[in-house]
Amino acid sequence: MKRFWTVFEFELLSYIKNKSFVITTILMAVLLGGITFLPRFFDMSGMLGIETTNSQEESTDDGEEDKEKDVTSLGIVDKNGYFADKAILEQAFQDTEFIFMESDTELKQSVEEEKIAAGFYVVDDMNYQYFVLNRDMADSNQMIFNELLSVIHKQIYCQEHDIDYETFVADYEAPVQCEEKVLGKDAADNFWYCYALVIIIFMVIIMYGVMIATSVTTEKSNRSIEVLVTSVDSKYLLFGKVFAGAAAVIVQLTLILGAALAGYGINHEVWGNNLDILLDIPANVLVAFAVFGIGGFLFYAFLYGAMGALVSKTEDINKSSGTLQMVIMLVYFAVLFQLENPDGIIMKVCSYLPFSSYSAMFVRIGMGKVAFWEVCISVVILVISILFAGWLAAKIYRMGTLRYGNPIKLGKALKEMKQSE
Amino acid sequence: MKLEVKNITKSFGEKEILKGISFSVESGKALGLLGRNGAGKTTTIRILMDVFHGNSGEILLDGEKFNPRKVQIGYLPEERGLYPKREILEQMIYLARLRGIGRNQAVENSRKWLKRLQVLEYEKKLLETLSKGNQQKVQLASTLVCDPEIVILDEPFSGLDPVNSQILQEVVQELISDGKIVIFSSHQMSYVEEFCEDVVIINHGEVVLNGNLSEIKREYGKNQLVISGVGVTQADMEALLRRRLPELLEITGKTKEEVIVRLLEGVTRKQLFQKLAKMEELEIEHFETYKPSLNDIFVAKVGEES
Repeated sequence: MKRFWTVFEFELLSYIKNKSFVITTILMAVLLGGITFLPRFFDMSGMLGIETTNSQEESTDDGEEDKEKDVTSLGIVDKNGYFADKAILEQAFQDTEFIFMESDTELKQSVEEEKIAAGFYVVDDMNYQYFVLNRDMADSNQMIFNELLSVIHKQIYCQEHDIDYETFVADYEAPVQCEEKVLGKDAADNFWYCYALVIIIFMVIIMYGVMIATSVTTEKSNRSIEVLVTSVDSKYLLFGKVFAGAAAVIVQLTLILGAALAGYGINHEVWGNNLDILLDIPANVLVAFAVFGIGGFLFYAFLYGAMGALVSKTEDINKSSGTLQMVIMLVYFAVLFQLENPDGIIMKVCSYLPFSSYSAMFVRIGMGKVAFWEVCISVVILVISILFAGWLAAKIYRMGTLRYGNPIKLGKALKEMKQSE
Repeated sequence: MKLEVKNITKSFGEKEILKGISFSVESGKALGLLGRNGAGKTTTIRILMDVFHGNSGEILLDGEKFNPRKVQIGYLPEERGLYPKREILEQMIYLARLRGIGRNQAVENSRKWLKRLQVLEYEKKLLETLSKGNQQKVQLASTLVCDPEIVILDEPFSGLDPVNSQILQEVVQELISDGKIVIFSSHQMSYVEEFCEDVVIINHGEVVLNGNLSEIKREYGKNQLVISGVGVTQADMEALLRRRLPELLEITGKTKEEVIVRLLEGVTRKQLFQKLAKMEELEIEHFETYKPSLNDIFVAKVGEES
């Protein structure tokens, strides 16, 4: 065990002494943490399309200065005179100036010449035409105008039938009361952070997996492996290496995610709680993410280590780890496509397999219905698989010592291992 | 301590690399493992170090099965290699600790050996920034960092200049006088001759010569003489001897200027000397016992069939 810690310490130091690793970690943590403070100083609503409290305050408090803001011009042809009182329009459309025009040709021309952003041609209280040059994704003009026109329509209707408009509206639009009580989990709430965490763990496995494979291969290519395996059991070497990689990941992720989550925790009010869907992650999901993330990472890290031992040049790592990469990709896509169906059969199966439980089980915990015993079984399967993968990888690592030249095929490696037993 | 290698065989696929290698070495002695390239020296050492398993045979230390991880061994592999991008002291401490040395002791040993090999000034440098010769010395220092009882050096002199070779020779002498077992392979015979009491010559996976070096030399030089004449070329001398004295001797080789001959059965030196003295055309320059160098023995033993 002492030797394991010696290897662990030496390998971990190689991460800590790696400047790019340290700089990336600090930079990411500071950047993400810093971003959460931004709305305190800037109006982020324009940049992100998210309403932050800062921008709301401005729009209500600074009534006088409003005029200095960008004012959009909209054209309108209103032959029936529904909108004689321009105030109705300007109240509905904020920061907008309305220009009345005589004909639809004039309106069209103005839109084409971009004198106005868009234009409405009101036919009657039920029909209108909307002119716009390039329609924006978030164009809400029509929606607002529909509302307006429908109010006008109701007013006209009330006048014609001699009904009091106020009473009519009160009765007609009596609000339906609903109190939402989600007894299980609200998938809509959990969707985004599950999505984000699945992507994060996928990226981590791919990135660090290759780093671990490279570190094994480097020992072969710089020929230090012969001294190492004759000094200490290869199990310790590989386990030390993989656990050091895992420790580095945990430190890095904790710092980066921690900075983002803590920053948002402090600033969530300034954000108007708009990022809750992404950053307000419940503790149980985080714990599941940690347990299954670390488990999945270790499982794949060992396999990556074995793949690294099969080749002797770092350029060849991609060749030997291609299949592994493919499996990880498949799991990734399967889980992402099934994210909206966490209790489906695919997710259920995936949540037990050691190849995929790291993301599937964690998604089920976050979004679906899953019993505690199911989680336990999955954890047990994962732990056994990790130990097996570690044992296998150590064997391959030992066998791959001094095998230089072309990459060794995995099948051949396993066969030879069996023979040498 | 006594390390015994008994009848080791090893095949890679169809190819039989070792066909039964045996030798033994005791504390305070050095064993030179000699052989041409590809003879099986490194394979033997790797089996000894448990990098490979032999197909048959056994290795014993004081009569018990030898486990290279249970005894302090300093192993310098033929394929040199440490971490080029790590500090020298750091990786030496690591290697010492992997062999079970405590941290403080590891630091002390590392410094001691770096100093002994005159590379202490580089202890904080990355290995890759050193010259090749200095990297070799660091490698040697890290071989000895665990205070080994058994030192196995595979081609230790390759890549060292004469001054560094001298330092290494001194270090090996010290190890021997400290009572360590030293095994090393080489094809630089002059170094082996300096401090090996015993040699094993391996050829095509077999031991062709094994034993005490001075005995081997004596045995090999037995009944052999070096002869030359004043003003006679080596080729003329050889021709003369072949023509005039075939009943007394056979030509076994030549040195730079002399001819080496072996007396045939029953022939004495005196008889030969008298015959030579009687030759009017010959004035004897040299007539002495042949003292073969290890190189001569090696070439004779291993070069024969090639």
